[in-house]
Amino acid sequence: MFRKWLFLVLATLLLTGCGNSPEIKETEVVKKQYQASFLNLFDTVTTILGYAETEEEFEKITDDIYTKLEKYHKLFDIYREYEINNIKTINDQAGIAPVEVDEEIIELLLDCKEYYYMTGGKVNVAMGSVLNLWHEAREDGVDNPLESYLPDEAALKEAALHCDIEDVVIDEEASTVYIADPKLRLDVGAVAKGWATEKVCREIPEGLLVSVGGNVRATGPKPGDIPWVVGIESPWKENSDYVHTLYVNRECVVTSGDYQRYYTVDGETYHHLIDPETLYPGKKWKAVSVVCEDSGLADALSTALFLLSKEEGEKIAKQHDAYVMWIASEEEIYYSDGFETIIKR
Amino acid sequence: MGKTKGMRLRFCIGDVLVIGFVVMLAILIGVVFWIKTGTEEGNLVVVYREGEKIRELSLDKNTEIFIENSYTNKLVVKDKKVAIVESDCPGMDCVHSGWISGKGRSLVCLPNRVEIRIEGEVDSEVDFIVR
Repeated sequence: MFRKWLFLVLATLLLTGCGNSPEIKETEVVKKQYQASFLNLFDTVTTILGYAETEEEFEKITDDIYTKLEKYHKLFDIYREYEINNIKTINDQAGIAPVEVDEEIIELLLDCKEYYYMTGGKVNVAMGSVLNLWHEAREDGVDNPLESYLPDEAALKEAALHCDIEDVVIDEEASTVYIADPKLRLDVGAVAKGWATEKVCREIPEGLLVSVGGNVRATGPKPGDIPWVVGIESPWKENSDYVHTLYVNRECVVTSGDYQRYYTVDGETYHHLIDPETLYPGKKWKAVSVVCEDSGLADALSTALFLLSKEEGEKIAKQHDAYVMWIASEEEIYYSDGFETIIKR
Repeated sequence: MGKTKGMRLRFCIGDVLVIGFVVMLAILIGVVFWIKTGTEEGNLVVVYREGEKIRELSLDKNTEIFIENSYTNKLVVKDKKVAIVESDCPGMDCVHSGWISGKGRSLVCLPNRVEIRIEGEVDSEVDFIVR
């Protein structure tokens, strides 16, 4: 009896051993996860995750994504000139002449006008003159923290007079853009990365995860129909933990936070999300995360919702089927309908 | 009655051998699993400069290296954590990123075109992290 029982235990042990044996897995075609990063696009980090059988196969995909993103990087740049007319060319010709541009610039600017009216003017790509004052002050402050300063109040107010989006005259037929106000400047920073990500993701293979400066977009689940898991890092560095981890299949996740780009003046931090109304950084939230299908829309929404109250933001989000998480403090986190359905527990 | 008693007492050398075998097997399996998970945890700290892999360091070994490009980053691996502790780049965002650990995490110095990634075989709970 006892001996029989012992053999039974032994047999069970061996069987369990078999279940875990790697030989079973080796018969399947195993696709490995690969990762690629680019540090020279949109002044931020681009990361691509995907599965492929070989590194070469994955590299072919990422090379293609790089080429596609690089085109947008050049078109939407407001600081540098390239061989093609871009947003900087349009800015340089403000009040002078219409500039013939690639149809994708036309497409972007038309969408930007839509974002402007949709968000009650909170996302305004025509406020480049205001943003430029903040940009200069921040760059100087970062380079020279001891002598950091705030933009001149009078200069901000004067710049704010030249932010009328209707002064950006788009001629679709001629494919030209003309800035009618000589002091108006375009700054597409709040939407260009997300918009470009969306465009590119519609043209690349299934099952990839692309992040351009935190605009994360999935082009379908991982092999085996497993959703991607995206962690939203806690804004409080000491925790270095996630606020939540989210399941993503084909959607986009974007977070606007006051800790992403900032500088310090007299011990107080000033971040990059400037409210067109107050001309100063928005103070309502620590961070706002938006999940929706279109990455361009998500980018615009996260900027707008960061500057709006929960009630106002919720209304806009609902109209566009977006899920939202508002973080006011560590204890105070709010969710829109639906957001909790994608949280990984 | 007597029969049962006899069986109980007949605990021969074969039984001892089987018990010994099972115990040995259990220990062996335990050791194999321990070693396996042990090596899987042995993640690598991989340094990329201008998109090219230039160094691989063990996350388990405390190290300090300097990464030179347009600027210089001082990279420290300590107690299975990684950080850029010094840098002469503008803004020093890389230094402010603090210490990272765990597969899939990365540190970036954009001005210096340097990325430090923790790579390994273990599939962690999270595919990608956004700030």
